[in-house]
Amino acid sequence: MIEVENLSKTFEDKKRGKIEAVKSVSFSCYPGEIFGLLGPNGAGKTTTLRMLSTILTPTSGTARIAGYDIRTQAQEVRSHIGFLTGSASPYERLTAREMVAYFGALYGLSDSEIERRIQEVFTELDMHEFADQRCDKLSTGQKQRVSIARTILHQPPVLFFDEPTNGLDVITARTIIRFIRKCREQGKTVVFSTHIMSEVESICDRIAVIYKGEVAAIGTLEELRAKTGKQVFEEVFLKLVGEEDN
Amino acid sequence: MSDSRSSLSSRVPIIFKKELREIFRDKRTRMSVIVGPLIITPLMFAVIGKGVQGQMEQVNSEKTTVAVISSASTAGIETELKKTNQFVITKVQSEREVTQLIKDRKVSVGLKIDPEIETHDAMEQPIEITAIVDKGEQSSQIGMGKLFEYFQKEGADKAKRRLQLRGVNPEVITPYKMSEQSIPGGGGRAMLFLVQMLPYILIMASFSGAIYAAFDQVAGEKERGTLETLLVSPASRRDIVLGKFGAVVSVCIISSILSIIGLVIPFKSGLQAFDWIAKGGLTLDPMAMVVVVIVLVPLSVLFAGVLLTLSTFAKNQKEAQTYLGTLFPIVIMPAMFSMFMGAKVALTVALIPVLNASLIIKQALNGNYNWAFIGLAFVASVVYAGIALSFATRMFQNEKVLIKT
Repeated sequence: MIEVENLSKTFEDKKRGKIEAVKSVSFSCYPGEIFGLLGPNGAGKTTTLRMLSTILTPTSGTARIAGYDIRTQAQEVRSHIGFLTGSASPYERLTAREMVAYFGALYGLSDSEIERRIQEVFTELDMHEFADQRCDKLSTGQKQRVSIARTILHQPPVLFFDEPTNGLDVITARTIIRFIRKCREQGKTVVFSTHIMSEVESICDRIAVIYKGEVAAIGTLEELRAKTGKQVFEEVFLKLVGEEDN
Repeated sequence: MSDSRSSLSSRVPIIFKKELREIFRDKRTRMSVIVGPLIITPLMFAVIGKGVQGQMEQVNSEKTTVAVISSASTAGIETELKKTNQFVITKVQSEREVTQLIKDRKVSVGLKIDPEIETHDAMEQPIEITAIVDKGEQSSQIGMGKLFEYFQKEGADKAKRRLQLRGVNPEVITPYKMSEQSIPGGGGRAMLFLVQMLPYILIMASFSGAIYAAFDQVAGEKERGTLETLLVSPASRRDIVLGKFGAVVSVCIISSILSIIGLVIPFKSGLQAFDWIAKGGLTLDPMAMVVVVIVLVPLSVLFAGVLLTLSTFAKNQKEAQTYLGTLFPIVIMPAMFSMFMGAKVALTVALIPVLNASLIIKQALNGNYNWAFIGLAFVASVVYAGIALSFATRMFQNEKVLIKT
């Protein structure tokens, strides 16, 4: 489970002064649920996920991930999450197997457990064919599968997906979406960040609309439609962020 | 979630092993750390040697072209010079003409001979001969050397003949006869070359060998987006920086050791290509090697710290390369400076990073161990290395620098 309380992040910029990237964001996300963070580029989605995954320290507020506080129990938080971003690729000079085993070791799995989990995950993701090929020789789709394998090898109860389909072709993007649905079926707590409306409509159980660092609204698709009186989700979004006339 | 988790401290070796594996799979690192020192350096010596040998042979076999400011009285000397078969004589009338011929590279040396040769010879007074040379031209210098040698020998023979005519033992004008004898096991030409070059080469190898590795470690990871993946793992930032740091230090040390091997190959291989440098032998005291390693370890830590800090601060590898442009002269200058410094230096010099290491390597190769200097330099280098490591670690904690996009 994820409980976010008044999370804020301010950056100091020499030219632009203080930038409030995230302003007092609060939400909860439960096991077996896909929680969407929807917002345009620069809305504060990635900064929020970076704080939740302890890469960034919040300026104020906090969150509890799987029962651990992101401020005081950062290492425990990191042990219990999986993080997949569309902008990261696997280590090019490692093979798929080496890459996944490396992260397994970082997550503290024993050698035998790493081997067992690799067999399971590689079968599940159909990766045996290219398991011993260097990642720089793999196709985009294969690389993405390596990243997924790396994310789930340690069986984390909480998963963060930061624009995971960014720049991917339709077929690879579908694999990712299918994988996220499977995580929900397995009872995991999933936070899915995107700016693509159709993805949100297709897989999210509840959605937080983020705009200019603030949560504009939280609810199920139906709740948000009812709140705005709009049916087309793009219109729902524009109404919620107050950009309806643009 | 798995329960079979190993201790947290074991993450440093995991990161270290992975980084080292990745580093040595990088073609650029393999080129600069392995291929460069072990193949390119010896090959360079062979090529330079061939070139130098060829040039020496050419110079020795070629006749020196000499422009003589000619007059009736110089005819005798011109004939004698021709007889040696070492000189080709061109007769000219003025010094200006000589200068022009030398400038046009038509002759190597000019000779201005005292016109009163016969009078001075008869009175047994010195005949003044001036060699006109271009000091910036090698063939001119060599030609002048040949002429000096010729006139010295001719002069000595003439003096002996004069003394014999007077019934005086010619050896009376040679009160000292000096010759040289090398000590067994002493250094030859090779040793001199090595002592001059090795400190510089080792320091440069240690530094430049690790550049690609260090820049790839953080700036490269930022560029490829993999750093974020690592930061969300349970490895602490301290674990990450120590693992990466250890890998870069290892590359620095491996690079230096392979450079030593690469430099020793020409001396020990027995190949003809290295004859020019290996003549005279090479003796390396095992203690010298121990001292070199003692000095190189903290220096490598210092370099790794500085390079990793640069790499962490930069947004990408290109930006890191730009910062390197400023840093490179700071490393290269002290290393080069040591080549021109003598064996005796003030103890305080031991506090200057890079230069201290460079001088210790030079002294050790000469079999000279100033333990106070070595001790102080070691302590200073360890302190600097510690500062560099702590700086790199602190930089790695700075989220503003780490998540710079």
